[in-house]
Amino acid sequence: MKKILFAALVGGIAFTSCSTDDDVIYPDPSIEVPETYTFTRNGESTVSFSGQTTRILMAGELFGDLLNPEMTEEKLSNMFSNEENPFSSEDLNSSSKDIKSKVAASKLYFSSNSVESNAIKSTFESWISEQVTDVFPNWETLAEEGVAGQIAQGDKTRYVNGKGIEVNQIFAKSLIGALVTDQILNNYLSEAVLDEADNTEKNSEGATEEGKSYTTMEHKWDEAYGYLVGHPSISSESPLASLDSHEDKLLFNYLVKVDNDPDFAGIAEETFEAFKTGRAAIVAGDYELRDEQVAIIRRNLSLVSAVRTIYYLQNGKSAMANEDLGTAFHGLSEGLGFLYSLRFTHNPETGEPYLAPEVLLGYHEQLTAGNGLWDVTPETLDSISEAIADAFGITVAQAAE
Amino acid sequence: MFKKIKLLVLAAFIVACNSDDSGKSGNTDTDNFDRGAMLENWADNIIIPSFENFSGKTASLEEAAVNFAEDPSEGNLAILRAAFEEAYLEYQTVAPFEIGEAEALDYHGFLNIYPADAAAITAKAEANSFNLELPGSRDEQGFPALDYLINGLGETDTEIVSFYTSENENSEGYKNYLTAVTARINALTNAVLADWKNSYRDIFVNNTSSSSTGSVDKFTNDFVMYFEMDLRSGKIGIPAGAFSGNPAPETAEAYYSEDLSKQLYLKAFETFRNFFNGKHFNSSQTGPSYKQYLEYLHSIRGGENIAALINEQMADVVQQADALQSNLAEQVRTDKDVMLAAFDELQKLVVLLKIDMLQALDISVDYVDTDGD
Repeated sequence: MKKILFAALVGGIAFTSCSTDDDVIYPDPSIEVPETYTFTRNGESTVSFSGQTTRILMAGELFGDLLNPEMTEEKLSNMFSNEENPFSSEDLNSSSKDIKSKVAASKLYFSSNSVESNAIKSTFESWISEQVTDVFPNWETLAEEGVAGQIAQGDKTRYVNGKGIEVNQIFAKSLIGALVTDQILNNYLSEAVLDEADNTEKNSEGATEEGKSYTTMEHKWDEAYGYLVGHPSISSESPLASLDSHEDKLLFNYLVKVDNDPDFAGIAEETFEAFKTGRAAIVAGDYELRDEQVAIIRRNLSLVSAVRTIYYLQNGKSAMANEDLGTAFHGLSEGLGFLYSLRFTHNPETGEPYLAPEVLLGYHEQLTAGNGLWDVTPETLDSISEAIADAFGITVAQAAE
Repeated sequence: MFKKIKLLVLAAFIVACNSDDSGKSGNTDTDNFDRGAMLENWADNIIIPSFENFSGKTASLEEAAVNFAEDPSEGNLAILRAAFEEAYLEYQTVAPFEIGEAEALDYHGFLNIYPADAAAITAKAEANSFNLELPGSRDEQGFPALDYLINGLGETDTEIVSFYTSENENSEGYKNYLTAVTARINALTNAVLADWKNSYRDIFVNNTSSSSTGSVDKFTNDFVMYFEMDLRSGKIGIPAGAFSGNPAPETAEAYYSEDLSKQLYLKAFETFRNFFNGKHFNSSQTGPSYKQYLEYLHSIRGGENIAALINEQMADVVQQADALQSNLAEQVRTDKDVMLAAFDELQKLVVLLKIDMLQALDISVDYVDTDGD
């Protein structure tokens, strides 16, 4: 509680005094950046991202049911693909959207990389299968090395596989990268999507899509934005007002957590400002300014997964030192998910992930080999934390709090 | 006051930018209070004697349960119930001490999570298949489960006893469940007590550091959190509907006992108040504790006399409690405003403890609402 207050008090100062990489960009004075994320044409709103909201809600329901031992693999897998009316809400069932087809599906990283895209989708399916086949049958068993079951974390009860991993956590945190980060950074904000076909020409003319109030480029940008702020509990016009109270479980939630770390205070505001400025730049046809905002968003949203990976690995390390395995495994399970999400980050300087996919896979194997988290050493956690921090130009201490 | 905090924060933060130390902001005047003597008083005169006393009660409770299981009569039920009530009351004298082995074992989680999951208890007792070591079974054991097993199974004592006699085809399961719950209460209590006596006492007393890992910082956080979460919210706020706006009498402590909940609340509050003032267990003698520490700081710094303010507010809490019925669930049903008034008095104390006291002692709060994921 106190911490949040601190962040709020020092937010402004923290940002200017601690960050080293931002050259403040002064937008063209002729471009009107609105106070809130509100854009209109002929009095009609041009902002729409209902498809993103739908997928965020689907993910929320799937996360909940991954902890319901009555569930079958088929039912959970159907929720992942939206088949056979698997959701409790008619709106979700009747939607043409689904989660799975958008996993590892960005134009930039995966359009000609279907082997890896398919492998990643299968990995998510395999987690569903593992939860149902290995963890659910041991729901009333005490977990041990090599044995799935319950483990206490403080006053909570967690359910782990034989390697000590909460499969539901690795699923959820990996989806933050594979769905949300990938779609925002590498799909909707990529030039391949924003500038596809005659998008630029039409946008400059103000030519809207048939029957719609927005141009295609405007809409693509908003779809990127929707993956971040599309949960109905978030004020999408003024997301800063929702920092302290929202029900998002995906990227927004962790952007807020990173923002609450004094070392990164202000990152949320800077990110939302970039979304707003970039959108205004599209309206004004200033594509250079737009792309500068893309770089800020790519850097910041990539940083979220990096900071949270390091945070959880270090949190797991200190819990292990205190012989609190429940807390250690919970943190490390989340850390494994965020580590997986780093595959989908985007370094604006290279156009690639901050760490190579095979390097990340190597870390994943180090953490999950043998009896997995039961065997992990503090040295391994430190060396991975340091490598990630280096790649992002931050320190382990900054991310670990 | 508030301005001063802001400045401290800024100063601390600017330092943190350059190096990564997380040292405390600290008060500039020297605090020479003898923390070691205070820790000694806590351990030797309050905590360990409280656990010793309580372990006697849990042993009697286990014995009464075994006797009842061997001979399930209304007479033995009455004896078991008396042992239960006595133990539950004395449990309140150890409840604030969630540190050391108690923390490692989640002692309080296994002894007093309420409301109990009556449906799960029934199902598992009838199947005669259960594992009380599972963390997921915390609300199926401890005092709340026992309360259900000896007070909640039927309307009359005859009806309750019938669950444990050959009239009931599942009586073996009920007997096993009942004795397992009391055996576990006793075993966990002995484990915590043994750890205090064997090694933890010295570890606790010798860790006089004023950092966040020192005994005073850590214990104080646990102590204030206990007050906020268990005493204020659990016993009063949640049943009264103070947070949700929906009164929830079924969430009161000792729900199936007729007249126990207010006594438990008063005992817990008395324990908390005595500890604050350094009063030895079961004695009128006092030694160094928060009161003396705060008075010492007041004598060198001036300002408000926080110890006095806290004691005044504690007296107000006790006075307000006169208006409460002996059955707090019934109180919520008949006039929840009296419960809400109790909550308000407790809340004033939370502010004094969590803000004024912790600031004076230069202790940062180490607990926040968990993120629920």
